[in-house]
Amino acid sequence: MIKLKNDIVVIIGGEAGQGIQTVGDLLATVCWKMGLYITVVNDFESRIRGGHSFVQLRISDQPNSAPSDKVHILAALNSKTVELHKGDLSEGGLVLVDGEESTAAGVTAIPFSKIAREVGGKIMTNTVVAGAIMGLLGTPFDIFEELLVKKFGKKSPEILDNNITAAKRGFESIGENSFKNGFTWEKKIPLGLLLTGNKAVALGAVAGDCRFSAFYPMSPGTGIMNALVALTDDFPLVVEQVEDEIAAVNMILGAAYSGVRSMTATSGGGFSLMVEGLGLAGITETPILIVNAQRPGPATGLPTRTGQPDLQFTIHASQDEFPRFVFAPGTPAEAFDLTVKSLHLADKYQVPVVLLTDQYLTDSLFTLDRPLKVPDSIDRFIITDEDLDNPESYERYAFTESGVSPRVLPCNGNALCVASGNEHTPDGHLNEDADNRKRMMDKRNAKLPAMQKEMSAPSGYFEDSDILLVGWGSTQGAIREAVDLLRERGQEVGCLNFTDMWPFPVEHSQRLLGRTKRFIMVEQNSSSQLGLLIREQTGLSFDGTVLKYDGRPFFPIEIVEETLAIIG
Amino acid sequence: MTTTQDFDNDFENKWCPGCGNFGILDSMKKSFSNLGLAPKDVLLISGIGQAAKTPHFLKCNMFHTLHGRALAVATGAKIANHDLTIVVNSGDGDCYGEGGNHFMNAIRRNIDITLLVHNNQVYGLTQGQASPTSKMGFVTKVQKHGVIAEPFNPLTIALNLGAGFVARGFSNNREHTRQLIEDGIKHKGFSLIDIVQPCPTYNKISTHGWYKQRVEDLYENNYVPDDLENALAMAQEWDEKIPIGVYYQKEGPTFTDRIKKLTEGTLIDKKYDAAKLDGYLSVS
Repeated sequence: MIKLKNDIVVIIGGEAGQGIQTVGDLLATVCWKMGLYITVVNDFESRIRGGHSFVQLRISDQPNSAPSDKVHILAALNSKTVELHKGDLSEGGLVLVDGEESTAAGVTAIPFSKIAREVGGKIMTNTVVAGAIMGLLGTPFDIFEELLVKKFGKKSPEILDNNITAAKRGFESIGENSFKNGFTWEKKIPLGLLLTGNKAVALGAVAGDCRFSAFYPMSPGTGIMNALVALTDDFPLVVEQVEDEIAAVNMILGAAYSGVRSMTATSGGGFSLMVEGLGLAGITETPILIVNAQRPGPATGLPTRTGQPDLQFTIHASQDEFPRFVFAPGTPAEAFDLTVKSLHLADKYQVPVVLLTDQYLTDSLFTLDRPLKVPDSIDRFIITDEDLDNPESYERYAFTESGVSPRVLPCNGNALCVASGNEHTPDGHLNEDADNRKRMMDKRNAKLPAMQKEMSAPSGYFEDSDILLVGWGSTQGAIREAVDLLRERGQEVGCLNFTDMWPFPVEHSQRLLGRTKRFIMVEQNSSSQLGLLIREQTGLSFDGTVLKYDGRPFFPIEIVEETLAIIG
Repeated sequence: MTTTQDFDNDFENKWCPGCGNFGILDSMKKSFSNLGLAPKDVLLISGIGQAAKTPHFLKCNMFHTLHGRALAVATGAKIANHDLTIVVNSGDGDCYGEGGNHFMNAIRRNIDITLLVHNNQVYGLTQGQASPTSKMGFVTKVQKHGVIAEPFNPLTIALNLGAGFVARGFSNNREHTRQLIEDGIKHKGFSLIDIVQPCPTYNKISTHGWYKQRVEDLYENNYVPDDLENALAMAQEWDEKIPIGVYYQKEGPTFTDRIKKLTEGTLIDKKYDAAKLDGYLSVS
């Protein structure tokens, strides 16, 4: 078992607009550069200023991707932060508040904003706070300074100098306050990038040759579009903010029909608006990728919170039936790989693909435990007149054994690309004939066996155990850590983490779940949607559920406690 | 050279006898062949409605999409490959009702496509309900005491949003409509051609004869379409006379002109370069 060493948790809390995220990003980048593993979880309300926001940084020398319930350093930029989080402090934990004098035992006052004003203005407060936390952790200052040069060097020399002074003053401000959980820093080369799920999807999109994206802003899907926009100057990629989600999905359908790989990103509400377009992609066999970054609903629900409420919806969305893929990455590395795979499979099978992420995965920052691999080349599965004996008689929806018809692009030769969202004959023209309708449905569905073969088995961790925890998507890190903690307590527990959701990997699931004595579903929805799907698809029934649907990510300990209650 | 016969296909047409759509279909084929376009050079995109079935009745590339969404699909298709000649067939319900938001935004973007709206002021496919362009008081099975909302005026809206090519045609003046479609395709930027047409089945008011008495050909009158105020005034006319022709024209940069990387070639023709990702994926 891998034991996390130096598992330090820092919370920085305050009002939205106080630059809390900046502190988190600075700290995370310094730790990453030193070869440490970081998980940074942003917890914020749907407001730009005020309210209460915090970031949690988990720093360790082993990969981790779940938030922790125990806090070692609590840096409070407002009094609410202390009230809300002091109960989470571990033994020997420190509270840092902004001020001249300590107001309570165990609380250290550091004049963050006073220092900031002295060195250049209140805006420097977050740099002072970051400096103070690094001082406590014993971080080498030169690494921090290098980062500030990179971040502010392009602005004026004054801004850079002020930030370095602010960092230094913060670093020194902790004085004699010793932090007993401090550790010796050794510089190691990180194994992977420091990435949010958002950025991982965007990088996967360009790696998978996505060239067009249309979107309408909706949290938490917007972050993916922001990350894509950041890549437009370097890649053959156009990103357009459009009038609504209906336009977004139909615009990517048009671009995909014309011949470029296309995607959009949204959340549940926007996805609901896109559903008719999803069906159009299904019946016209047009390859598109939709990312649904899940949040709790229905309707507006909790805009800035996380959840896994849309699995069953996504699998079934649209009237009637057609083949589609649904993937749910568990980590940024998987988000990158599955975005590449989604774009590839959409083209290969001429079907829509939905990538399900969630607010936790998209907005949080993680250190990857491996490098990301880009495909050497892109196969578009497109033919031209040269591939056809008689281009004039080409039929877009020709009946084939595999159900996949050779695809031409419009205005790319004498073979005409005739597509229709009405049921159609092989030539693409609308038709209501009963026999043709049945044959066309069967043709589209004929893709399913090969599509199912593309699905990977859920990844396992101690998967030969008598008891398995079963989850999907972003709960992977929390579930694996819960397995470690349960095994530490002598329980024979392992886990399975699904990423390839639809077409459901029936054989893999039967093999892996059929041999265990009991399995418990761990999901962030109220009905155990994957558990129900497993029962429907394999006949195997789960023996219990650990469900969290309050909009917050799982703490591993919550899974441990509920699992123990179930297994006795 | 191509001829109109090059665009013929043998797909069975199910429009009602006397439908204005026949005239528009004929004008389309003539304008395409006059412009030297072959079926392989034309992409027709449509939504849902009797008008939106038009692409099935001629030979060309086509994408028959969802109700109201043709302009969104066409915009994506044009961004992916701005060398395409794209013509959209839509109706008054499809374009001004279900697709109203896309209509306004296609104008704002000045995406270089030609929009033909077959405007018969009534829903044909769903059997005779009022449409956004139905006159106040127009009686149908559903609006049994008459329509109780003001009609949508597509021309004033397009003009006010800064559309660069705003025209009105009459389906039964086929030569005139052919000229409009040619001018619309040649226009660099978004072109709206609202083509008024009879619906012999469901619209007993604006019949062929009713239009015939009212239409006034702006081409014959040598009207110069460069005055927005004039165009707006003409766009208000309906009961006494209906000017047909180009009301207003002004060229400017199109949507794809404004995307810098597309000025150096189409998006679809660009090369995939995995090496460019190295800088982003390198850990050091």
